[in-house]
Amino acid sequence: MKRKLAALEKVEADLPALQRKIRTDPSSYHDDFVNQYSQYQSLYELFEASPTTTDDSGLVRLRDLVDFVSHVADCYPSLTKGFAGQLTRLLEIHHVTLESELRDKLVGSLVLLRRKETIDSQALLQILWPLLISTPSKSLRALLFSKILNDLRTSNNKATNHKLNRSMQTTCYNLIASNPSSPKGLWAVKLTRELWKRQVWADAKAVSIMEAAALSQDAKVVTGGVRFFLGGDQEREEAADDDSEAEEGVDVRKLKHQAGINKKNDKRMKEVREAKKKIKKQERKKNAPHPLNFSALHLLNDPQGFAEKLFQQHLQPSQPKVKLNLEQKLLVLNLVSRLVGLHKLTVITLYSYFLKYLTPRQPSVTSFLASLAQATHSLVPPDVLEPLVQKIANEFVSEAAASEVASAGLNGIREICVRQPLAMNETLLQDLVQYRKSKDKGTQMAARGLLSLYRDVGAEMLKKRDRGRDAALKLRHTTTNEGGIAAARRFGQVEEGGIEGLDLLEKWKEEQGLDEDEDEVKGWENWDAESDGSESSGGWINVESDGEDIDVSDSEDEREKKQKADKLAKTTTSEEKENMDDAASRTTASLEPEAALAREEAKISKLATTRILTPADLTKLHELRQSTALLNNLPSAKRRKLAAQAAAAKAAKHADDAVTASDITGPSKLSHKNNKEERIAIAKGYRDGVIREGGREEGNDHRSTTARRKEKKAAEGKSTTNREKARKKNFMMTLGKAKRKGKRSLVEQRGILKAHVDRGKRGGKRGNAGN
Amino acid sequence: MGSSTKKKKEKAKDFQKTKLKVGKARPKNTNATDTSFAAKSIVFKQQSVSETRDATALFNHNLSLLSSKTEPQRRDALQYLTAACQVAGKDLPQPASAIVSKAQPLILDGSKGVRQQLLKLFKALQGDIGPLEQLLLYTRAGMTHLSTEIRLSALEVLDWLLQTQPEAVLACPGGWVKTLKTFQNLVSWQGGLSATGATMNGKWSATKAATSLGSNKLLVHQLNTLATFLAAALTSEPVDPNASAERAAGLFPLWHTDAHMLPKKSNPFGYLNLFGAPRDAESEVYDNAESRAEIFGELGILEAFQAGVREAKKEGGEVGRAAALIDKALSLADDG
Repeated sequence: MKRKLAALEKVEADLPALQRKIRTDPSSYHDDFVNQYSQYQSLYELFEASPTTTDDSGLVRLRDLVDFVSHVADCYPSLTKGFAGQLTRLLEIHHVTLESELRDKLVGSLVLLRRKETIDSQALLQILWPLLISTPSKSLRALLFSKILNDLRTSNNKATNHKLNRSMQTTCYNLIASNPSSPKGLWAVKLTRELWKRQVWADAKAVSIMEAAALSQDAKVVTGGVRFFLGGDQEREEAADDDSEAEEGVDVRKLKHQAGINKKNDKRMKEVREAKKKIKKQERKKNAPHPLNFSALHLLNDPQGFAEKLFQQHLQPSQPKVKLNLEQKLLVLNLVSRLVGLHKLTVITLYSYFLKYLTPRQPSVTSFLASLAQATHSLVPPDVLEPLVQKIANEFVSEAAASEVASAGLNGIREICVRQPLAMNETLLQDLVQYRKSKDKGTQMAARGLLSLYRDVGAEMLKKRDRGRDAALKLRHTTTNEGGIAAARRFGQVEEGGIEGLDLLEKWKEEQGLDEDEDEVKGWENWDAESDGSESSGGWINVESDGEDIDVSDSEDEREKKQKADKLAKTTTSEEKENMDDAASRTTASLEPEAALAREEAKISKLATTRILTPADLTKLHELRQSTALLNNLPSAKRRKLAAQAAAAKAAKHADDAVTASDITGPSKLSHKNNKEERIAIAKGYRDGVIREGGREEGNDHRSTTARRKEKKAAEGKSTTNREKARKKNFMMTLGKAKRKGKRSLVEQRGILKAHVDRGKRGGKRGNAGN
Repeated sequence: MGSSTKKKKEKAKDFQKTKLKVGKARPKNTNATDTSFAAKSIVFKQQSVSETRDATALFNHNLSLLSSKTEPQRRDALQYLTAACQVAGKDLPQPASAIVSKAQPLILDGSKGVRQQLLKLFKALQGDIGPLEQLLLYTRAGMTHLSTEIRLSALEVLDWLLQTQPEAVLACPGGWVKTLKTFQNLVSWQGGLSATGATMNGKWSATKAATSLGSNKLLVHQLNTLATFLAAALTSEPVDPNASAERAAGLFPLWHTDAHMLPKKSNPFGYLNLFGAPRDAESEVYDNAESRAEIFGELGILEAFQAGVREAKKEGGEVGRAAALIDKALSLADDG
């Protein structure tokens, strides 16, 4: 008789089942594991003996066993001590000839062992990284790269793993630094860029890797490094935005609604729970403080040296070590000029380099113009820039040149002069300004831009009739004030910064006649959170922006004093109102002679530099500032302020952002007339359902609101209205009801009417009035 | 004119309803297909019709079929090879070692027929079958396989090896200690506590391994093979003190004759391990009975075995008898 197989014996015939059982009870299945492990050992030895001739079934068996052992290795740490080492050996020695599936399995198993903490991250990366560099297989490289990236991300997930990061960064750096001419450095660049984007690496060390890459001797590595500096930060911001947007996807209300209607089961309840948890998590994330991230350009160790080296290595020599094509050269140039502009560096040879590229026939000349503008800052000697401006004017700006060319030239000149107004001489400026009378719109606007710039920064260089009213008034004013000396800005002159409203505070103090020392002591008195009994909330004291809410000192006489001070401040500021015309908007009290003014200024600057402002001082300062702001809100002042804001926004834009070629070509688009095809395309584009950038709503969508609403609903996956459904209902289906309708009895009719009214009151069939 | 009326009639005919009459068969449709024919086919009994096929080519073809995907093909190839070996004896188109190296992966084959046939092939082989290292690896892998059937047939292969060339088996690297350890795992004589089914991880007692669940046919086979293995390993050759002197006298003018002769065993310098990876204690070569007995005791396997045998003897029956055989073999080690 044939013996019946026991259930256990039958089930045991496959590895996954055994694996599951081992996971639940490792000690009971110890012997089974030992058997399987010794079988793995035998197969491993067989493979070692003849790696290339092992047949398919042997490989499959080995793969299955590797998978099995790596899944349960953590249950028997002492038995499987050498397992990771064996896998590593297999990969290191045979990775070129290994069958691809087995190879991927080996990589996956090593990562699994890392996840189960049988080996540590450092060891794993030391195995995978050299493989990534050396393997000829593209698919393996992709796999290894993703695994390395994932491992680095997960190990930095909870807290930054400084040790691991440092060692990996050193490895990356050494890869580039040890052999600058090898293209392998690209992997270091790729890894660093990816981790920078995900904000895993955001320190100076990562930047120094990229610095080495930009200075290496392989074209791809160089462009990788340069592109990182030009776009890495933007990419990081976008990635962060994407993350926060992608998480918006959960709609709790919808899920709740569905859970109310659909059959209730555990799965749906779980879904709702999880969605809630997710929302909570998102909110916490949203409220979390923004991580302080410095841009890569600011984390550079030695910007001057870096910019010089970049320029000398890649751009200046006629026979550079790396042959870069024009596009790559432009990237490098962009970076160099960006660095020069941002950090106000001095690389004098850079400017003469531009000279030969500034012709209208040069390909992508607008990028060169943009780079030149970017490289200009207030500390560049004007005599270096003057020939460049002159050349641009000669080459680009003439009646004979095409309108785009002229406007690009004018825009380029303007961008340079914004940064260094002294680069322009009087005759040239007066000549260029004439182009505002040009027939072409683009040229006209470019010339106007230049004109308005010089009305602001150097009105005296313009002809009298070009100066305009405001500039002329200002000019006259300064001339009278400064005793006939032209107030032209000098080279190297820096506008002094200050604290807004500091002069008000100073004056207030003087009027109060407070003894400085005593005042200071009082000012610090209440600042200590613990000594202040009224603050029961604990933790940080929230300083309200409202001046009235906080009593800086509790004593009664102090409060009185303060009120008095308020009044005084108001009177002084009302005096200022008369003096509004002063463009500098310095709130000096009167029209005193110059000597007094100078004296006062000196005192003001002394206040901030000689003593530390107490918290009381700061609140007072805020108060004073607000009261002046109230006065400033009169209509004429408002207009002036708006203009100032616009100017400030413009200035802010120039400070840190890059100048792009589109800034140079900008308004010249206006001079371009659409041809017929383009016009047709624009007109058609919206109606044919071709989705354009910027969406439909902004474009000229000539459709009815109903149609638009319907489309919106359909896009959201929502249903139509009941009315719409009724209209679309098949005619044949409505026939029966219509027939019956005429034959209803009066009682029936009444019932139906009643039900209708009742339904209306309840708010629909199911009655949604209650909830 | 005539043709047009004709056409009109034909057209009208298409839409005419055929009249069915009671008691008469329905007329056949105009588009009916005649299916009355029968297909004829030619069936070959064997793939190749040519009688004059070269025996060598056929042999090689069958040898290559051993790695075929389909099970019957592998079995048939084995069958053919067995028959060829039995008929041809020693003068085969390929040396026995080549056949073994091709056939050895089949020890782990999933089908029973193939494995049985493989054993027949092995038994039919004559002459030197080359180095046994790989064959032994496959055998050990088979002995620890998940499936009981494969374990049994792997044991049979080991039996065959021990019968035909026990010395060669033991002289393989890892042939002694690794095989012993495999056996130890199989019969789960872990020595000390676990052999008596006591604690393993402190609190809970581990049950005996499920290998012998239901029937102990496998266990008995394992114990028997183990007994043979131990006996073969631990029996030292009877040394005749006069033998070497007599030989030297016979070949008088020559000295160290053996060193100048062709070696009698395969891979005679294998123990030097000139080209392989460095070996540990487990995969070292143990050439004579004394060294084997020594390492046997050193690793503590001997004690574990003795304890295990004591337990097994108590069971009585077939297991007890097999255990007694092992006990006998173990006494050899004790003596040495």
